Amino acid sequence: MQWLIELETENDPIPACRLINIFRRKGVKIVTMGLAAKVEGFSIVALVETAETEVDHIFNFLRRTQGVRDVTCYRHETSGEPAYVFADTNADASSVKRILQAFPDAGLIFAIQGKYFFEVPAGGGSRWAALNHDAPGILPFARFRVARGVPRQELVAVLPER
Amino acid sequence: MANLFTGSEILLESLRRQKVDVVFGLPGGAVLPLYDALYSAGIHHLLMRHEQAAAFAADGYARATGKPGVCLVTSGPGATNLMTGLTSALMDSIPVVALTGQVPLSMIGKDAFQEADTIGISLPSTKCSYLVRAAADIPAVIERAFKAAISGRPGPVLVDLPKSVLMEKAEPSYPSGLGEERPERAREWRDEDLVRAAEMIFESRNAVLYAGGGVISSDAWRELRELAELTHIPVTTTVMALGGFPSRHPLSLGMLGMHGSYATNQSICHCDLLIAVGARFDDRVTGRVNGFATNAKKIQIDVDPSEINKNVRVDLALVGDARETLQALLRALKRDPGQAAPPSRQQWLQRIDSWRAEHPLSYDKYANTVKPQYVLETISKHAEDDAIISVDVGQHQMWAAQFCSFSRPRTWLSSSGLGAMGYGFPAAMGAQLAFPDRQVVAVVGDGGFQMTLNDLATVAQYHVPVKIAIINNRSLGMVRQWQEIFFEKRYCDIDLNYAPNFVKLAESYGIRGTRVEHRTDVVDAVRDFLSDREPRLLDFWVDPAENVYPIVPPGAALAEMVVEPPRVLVEEEEVLDDLWAV
Repeated sequence: MQWLIELETENDPIPACRLINIFRRKGVKIVTMGLAAKVEGFSIVALVETAETEVDHIFNFLRRTQGVRDVTCYRHETSGEPAYVFADTNADASSVKRILQAFPDAGLIFAIQGKYFFEVPAGGGSRWAALNHDAPGILPFARFRVARGVPRQELVAVLPER
Repeated sequence: MANLFTGSEILLESLRRQKVDVVFGLPGGAVLPLYDALYSAGIHHLLMRHEQAAAFAADGYARATGKPGVCLVTSGPGATNLMTGLTSALMDSIPVVALTGQVPLSMIGKDAFQEADTIGISLPSTKCSYLVRAAADIPAVIERAFKAAISGRPGPVLVDLPKSVLMEKAEPSYPSGLGEERPERAREWRDEDLVRAAEMIFESRNAVLYAGGGVISSDAWRELRELAELTHIPVTTTVMALGGFPSRHPLSLGMLGMHGSYATNQSICHCDLLIAVGARFDDRVTGRVNGFATNAKKIQIDVDPSEINKNVRVDLALVGDARETLQALLRALKRDPGQAAPPSRQQWLQRIDSWRAEHPLSYDKYANTVKPQYVLETISKHAEDDAIISVDVGQHQMWAAQFCSFSRPRTWLSSSGLGAMGYGFPAAMGAQLAFPDRQVVAVVGDGGFQMTLNDLATVAQYHVPVKIAIINNRSLGMVRQWQEIFFEKRYCDIDLNYAPNFVKLAESYGIRGTRVEHRTDVVDAVRDFLSDREPRLLDFWVDPAENVYPIVPPGAALAEMVVEPPRVLVEEEEVLDDLWAV
């Protein structure tokens, strides 16, 4: 199963190193990953692949790891109306532009190294159809697990040019 | 003018504020400033003869007391030598705080003399690690380290201290400290989950309580006993939880799993409800997972959410501190005590008794040789009620788990998850330092003891009155057993006949030692040994062909356990005699 993990750590590289080691040890296949240093800590976003039976364990393991403040998990959603969309401009340079054309009111959750993650408004059925979310570089998601250690600072990423 | 102190002085004051009374360590270049401050600090430091032993001793102290054990070593090889001990503590959720020296900040990353990437190496072996970059940060880091070691699921924490930080002067600001409050433990269950748990207990006829190390670490043994007695549900303990439920209690099933008794494993196979408390469904407990407790609904109580459904899927998870959760469950059950202990449970207990009668734990009590089980039974019988037994890893560990009785928690020390040979002796030293007036017995094999016997010097130097019982079968016994049973008796590199004379070796350190080769000498030797106030060593030359039974073969389900050894043909006995002739 492909899923996306968003992690926020304390402002110390040690927990971030620990997380990458946990991915390796728990057999989490990293499809694509971004790491960003912020004032309040490190952000890691990883599109990963694991057996579906492992997802709960890995989420719980990550959220109880010392130095990790927030863990949010998103499931790859191929049906219904996903609330989030992931764009990888390395796979398709136009992916972000197409998302923003379909959803001009999308909120950017993160932007790291050519990888963008948007929250899109509900009720966008026809707009999803126009987006063709099966195209490379665009992956729709639904949020399914959240663990917040401390109140997080919202949306520090910078939007790409529209 | 500011009151300035060196990083070393600030560190020692921080340790004092955490009520650290003993540190197990070994000095070296990077920690020389710290040892210089230690010279007049009033903190008891035990000079161990190997850093691994320092980690094991800190672990033993922690298991015996419930407080974090502290070890202190230098950079590079000092730190790398700690890792086995820290990994063992991590596997068994033991609070240890490891202080490691590091090269000066300006030298880190330059491949300096005795530099190692201690933080990098420690990542998979610790709960968390800190690199201190300024002397002024030391109080906060130490406070966080001790808190992390005991909060949630306890575990080892490493604090890496560059030499320059230890020498730097700063004005310290100390946090308030831990005080006597109970460590933070998460609670994620809701009241309706408890109601459901109570209903599952009401509905069950053949329930079993399966207690793990969490019962010890959360001080939940009283609640466990109350729950068992209220509901008449029998209790099995993992090797980590021995002492968490009295061995001689009528509801005690003893240890389960690979070397659990027939009755215990049968009860797991036939139960209709399994209540796991602070236990992690380890592979040595479950055997083949898809054959484990297949008829049972399962409730899992654990402080660590990542343990839920990790190895075995459960019907109800109660994530929280074992003691608090059991207290809440008891309140829920007491609303209807009649339902909590239905009469049908007596039939279940009778069925378990019949399994006990069918295949009790036993050995040849009339043998001419010294049977290891007899030695352990004798030690247990003659030791005081609060005696601490610290075991190494191997056959003797399993015999001790089977044949020693425990009536209170924190009296059994064992590297259970990692299974690190060399643990038993230094861990016993740690426990003895915590409780100088109690009997502490290190039960070790001749293999494991040869990994840490250099610390005979430490017990002699500090008059640590540990009692060392070597269960000497002149081999790596458990490996030999597996080669015998599972590798067609192709005995490869298990012979330890080339060993020192342990009695003479002990005597060379000024420790009285005795070899026991005859069954009839065992009781007197054990009595004499336990009554001494000095360190002592007994070298029991036990039957080298003895094996641990029952055994669940690797990859098999508990139901497929082998209860007793296959009958040996006369010719095979002769071959064995030849093999073990000294």
